[in-house]
Amino acid sequence: MANPLTLYIPIKQDQTTQDAAQAARKHFVSTYTPALDHFGKVHYARFVLIPNHAVPGKILAICVMTSFDGPTNPYLTDFWNDPALREVFAGLAKMALADTSITDYTGFENFINENNLSEIGELYQAYKYTVVQIKADVKYPA
Amino acid sequence: MTNSPTPPYEPRNVQGMILRGYTHRYSCHMLFTFADRKGATDFIRALLPYVQSAEAWSNKPERMLNIGLTFDGVLTFEPGFKSQFPTEFEAGPWSADSQQSLHDTGPSDPKVWWNATKQAVHCIVHVYGLTAEALGSLVTTVSQAAGTNRVSEILPLKPERGQSGRLEEYAPLENYIHFGYKDGIDNPGLAWPADPAVPTNPVKSDPGDANNFLVGYPGSTFQPGPETGRAGRFAKDGCYNAFRVLYQDVRAFDQFLADTAPMVVAAIGGSEDHAREWLAAKLVGRWRNGSPLVLSPDAPDQATSDKTDFLYKRDDGNALRCPFSAHSRVSNPRDETMLPTGTPVPRLIRRGVPYGAPPVPPDYDGERGLIGIFLCGALAAQFEKLYSWINVNDFSNAYSPGFNTQDALLANRGAAGDRSFTIAMPIGNPIRILSLPQFIVTRGTAYCLLPSMETLRGIAGLLE
Repeated sequence: MANPLTLYIPIKQDQTTQDAAQAARKHFVSTYTPALDHFGKVHYARFVLIPNHAVPGKILAICVMTSFDGPTNPYLTDFWNDPALREVFAGLAKMALADTSITDYTGFENFINENNLSEIGELYQAYKYTVVQIKADVKYPA
Repeated sequence: MTNSPTPPYEPRNVQGMILRGYTHRYSCHMLFTFADRKGATDFIRALLPYVQSAEAWSNKPERMLNIGLTFDGVLTFEPGFKSQFPTEFEAGPWSADSQQSLHDTGPSDPKVWWNATKQAVHCIVHVYGLTAEALGSLVTTVSQAAGTNRVSEILPLKPERGQSGRLEEYAPLENYIHFGYKDGIDNPGLAWPADPAVPTNPVKSDPGDANNFLVGYPGSTFQPGPETGRAGRFAKDGCYNAFRVLYQDVRAFDQFLADTAPMVVAAIGGSEDHAREWLAAKLVGRWRNGSPLVLSPDAPDQATSDKTDFLYKRDDGNALRCPFSAHSRVSNPRDETMLPTGTPVPRLIRRGVPYGAPPVPPDYDGERGLIGIFLCGALAAQFEKLYSWINVNDFSNAYSPGFNTQDALLANRGAAGDRSFTIAMPIGNPIRILSLPQFIVTRGTAYCLLPSMETLRGIAGLLE
């Protein structure tokens, strides 16, 4: 079974950050598909902007939702060591309302875990196959 | 291992067990809970004269020790360090995410670790002696220092058959584990990377290089941390220890070999005695004397018993010598192509020793196993990643089509893996064992930091 990761990151309300969030959403899929394909464990990934209902037109938070195979922490170094994926998270940290400066890998790992709203097991999945098994077209009894 | 310039670390600032494989025959690994900071400080100060660094010795110390702290232990001295250390170290091996890799279920459930004690482990003291008397005297010293400083000792095993309940090395086994295999053959080289890292390409070292094990140096694939701030200074020159006590079910193991031997005889001929040894070698990838199947496929050979200079993909790509799910092929797949491509194979420094007396068949009663000391710079990216591979072999296309077989010896069969074990044969059908038994039960796990000598002096109040 896959595991969920739901990063919820309230962002700054200045126009530069708001524009950056819009741009990040617009280019998320096209920019990061190669890196996620290479990683080979992510079933789905979505980049969602949460509206600020108190201030129409503004974005309150960024939400990155993924489901992936296996544990989280052992594979975070793969994200950190991939320049494209590291750029995603560095960008998110810069936009974060909470002043977040990621200066080393430990800071990155803690940033992910502290902003993850999901718990292991909190995911419905209609199938039990991993991404690797699906791509290899594995056939074995359900 | 890469060729090395002089390492930037000072061996005298690094605890000895990290960089040196001690050959002291006697050891005891003592678990403690602190009551308060004052007592903990005085306890560490009392032990400091015996702490061995990695500096070269002219005369081998007769007795010595090393000290590890869990995150709760670190917080006793530095309560402000919350959220500054790696998540898995802070959360502990029983956490939901760590258990996604370790899969300790059933009798291995964390709820019953450490003899079902409810006390948190704060500190592990690894005591070594050249003789039983030398060990005993230092264990007594440690115990007395604990008693006078409100530090409680946890006895992780049920005291039985005259055993103390402490984790004491069973010295007569020397370098062998209870399943009869030679152990500790292949450890990382701990060289220093010749090519220093640059920010645009931080992955520059061999996974066996020392900067993947010591906290605070650049160029590591696995990013030991923390690297910055006060927590970074506290952790620098330290190393993490995944301390894991593993009961070894020799009865189940011997029974499995005996039960399966007729099937093996039918495939390869010979006697059942030979079939048992052949099967035991296939489970691990080495004969019990240490000879790797890749180099000695037909019989153990004293000349290859310590050999490590072989590869799997290059020398045995079809697994006709060493099965894909053999323990040594899973725990160090060497040149196997990883998923994702280019992912380095994590390495661990193994300093474990056996505990408990061997069985005298047919009497298998009694507690015995491995005091597992798995040293790494990153508990998740090295130790937990390897353990997840042990439980589910999904790390390489070589393990297709199912990508879900398990390590033949160590896996927790409660994980969502395929319990079967396939032994490829050069002629005829492969031998397929449908369901491997559980050979290992986890008695407890603690994630510790083995701090630098300077940090130990600091928490002992000796740096002001």
